[in-house]
Amino acid sequence: MMEADVHFELLWPEFLVAGLAFVIFTLDFFLRPERKNILAWVSVIGLAGILAFTIPYLLDENDSLFNGLYRIDDYALFFKVLSMAIGGVVILGSIHYVNRYLTHPGEYYAILLLSVLAMMMMAASGELLTAYLSLELLSFCLYILSGFALQNKKSNEASIKYILLGAFSSGLLLYGIVMLYGAMGTTSFAEMAIFLEGIEDIDGRLLIGLTLLIAGLGFKMAAVPFHMWAPDVYEGAPMPITAYIAVGSKVAAFALVLRLFAEGLLPAIEQWNVLIAGLAALTMLFGNLVALAQTNVKRMLAYSSVGQVGFLLMGVAALSTLSSNGLMVHLVGYSVTNLAVFFAITAFYNVTGKEEIADFAGLASRSPFLAAAITISLFSLAGLPFLAGFVTKFYLFSAAAAEDLLWLAGVAMVASLISLYYYLKVIREMYINPAADGEGSTIQIPGLLYGLVGILVISVILLGVYPDPVVNMIEDATAVILPGGDASTLNLR
Amino acid sequence: MELYHVEMLSAALFAIGIYGVLARRNAVMILMSIELVLNAVNINAVAYAAFLDPGRLVGQVITIFVITVAAAEVGLAMAIILRLYRTRATANVDEADSMKW
Repeated sequence: MMEADVHFELLWPEFLVAGLAFVIFTLDFFLRPERKNILAWVSVIGLAGILAFTIPYLLDENDSLFNGLYRIDDYALFFKVLSMAIGGVVILGSIHYVNRYLTHPGEYYAILLLSVLAMMMMAASGELLTAYLSLELLSFCLYILSGFALQNKKSNEASIKYILLGAFSSGLLLYGIVMLYGAMGTTSFAEMAIFLEGIEDIDGRLLIGLTLLIAGLGFKMAAVPFHMWAPDVYEGAPMPITAYIAVGSKVAAFALVLRLFAEGLLPAIEQWNVLIAGLAALTMLFGNLVALAQTNVKRMLAYSSVGQVGFLLMGVAALSTLSSNGLMVHLVGYSVTNLAVFFAITAFYNVTGKEEIADFAGLASRSPFLAAAITISLFSLAGLPFLAGFVTKFYLFSAAAAEDLLWLAGVAMVASLISLYYYLKVIREMYINPAADGEGSTIQIPGLLYGLVGILVISVILLGVYPDPVVNMIEDATAVILPGGDASTLNLR
Repeated sequence: MELYHVEMLSAALFAIGIYGVLARRNAVMILMSIELVLNAVNINAVAYAAFLDPGRLVGQVITIFVITVAAAEVGLAMAIILRLYRTRATANVDEADSMKW
């Protein structure tokens, strides 16, 4: 049975992140209000320390705890590193925003750290109930954080819409999980794969379970038609949290989905890939088309990220070694680029308190740095060459095309072209339209945000020119969840 | 009593819950409808464990965790609904409509 072989020491990174969160909760009591910035720095330095400890500690480890319920492997490690990096960047980018607009910084940073823990657990879970519990931990943290601007009506409205729809989708997801348990007699991914290999026909219970599972997960990652909460939550939530929801929750959701479908449901790929491909096509077209009509920049980015979910779902529909690599590469490129856009906009919002697209008029003369940063990142999101977005989309689209989903790759191209139009609308405001009367003053950006946005933009360019180190890490990660796949790699040269 | 009967009960509860979420306008009532959905899940989990997977405790463990998570969820949701009530003096979700499309 399972006694004696539980290596709890493999959970050190998780313990440390949880511990760090409680250190922040406690430290909060002992600091005077004007010194609360220390909390942010302790969180960031702590996360950096844990990151530096985790990589050598868990590299090439391949083990599982509690009978395969919780995995320690290179795939989990890759997402642990990515989650901690995203968490650190979001905390750094929040400092000025929190000082200006929010109260209770101690809870803010500690809950952010707990959500990083949840993201780490989502990538590592090898069983449906564990996956559900870590998903809920992440969701709970995000419900609180999106309503963190206590006196702000919009923030409160975002939070209530998020929690009601989130709880509803958890209900669907759970019903799906239990139906799958009833159909297969197990909730472990590995045993699910064995069961699915041994059957010829799919019975009703399995079909209902699979559909509800996909619907529930679709809610969590905001795929059309389950995306209704996303624009409102993005618009209402505090700006750094919007960035975090756009990036963190998507990374974690796809980490979970990719492992579930690759390790558990791959033998039944004919049953679900049409459904996922349809969802992907609908999501990328709808997201990008509705984004055309938006006037609020956060809302526009919300629909743009709904569109990006469509691209990522394409990688799930075409599930293979190639497309799993492509999905993860695109996930990294999407994260870096979106963080760059959002923190450039946060720097703008910290000074002006405005977030309509029209408010960006004349930004090129008010702050050339911000205008350039936003332009480069938006071009990367649209997929222009020499930027992260081009390389990652190239990987993903060619992987889909190689897996007989050429039509879907074609739809994705069209959706990308549409997205270029609304990104250009923002760029036109910044570079061509003059600032409104009385708003021409220069925008002073604090050194911290200057550095953060600068580093993120440089990463966007670096990833576009020289993606090989990241791609190598991703290929190692894919090899764990899809061991049977051929080792062919996609080369750009 | 067959598994079929329990599954039907659970499905009916699930459908009532979904109807409540869609039809009710008070945030607290929506929350209670979601509880119905979660209880449908619990009934199903225990029934499957008893009929199809006897001897193992997977279904029961799922139920215990679902109950726990549901309790936490209600606590959190009530706190957020209270904030809605403080800022707008209503718990009606139709009146929280400052953001559309």
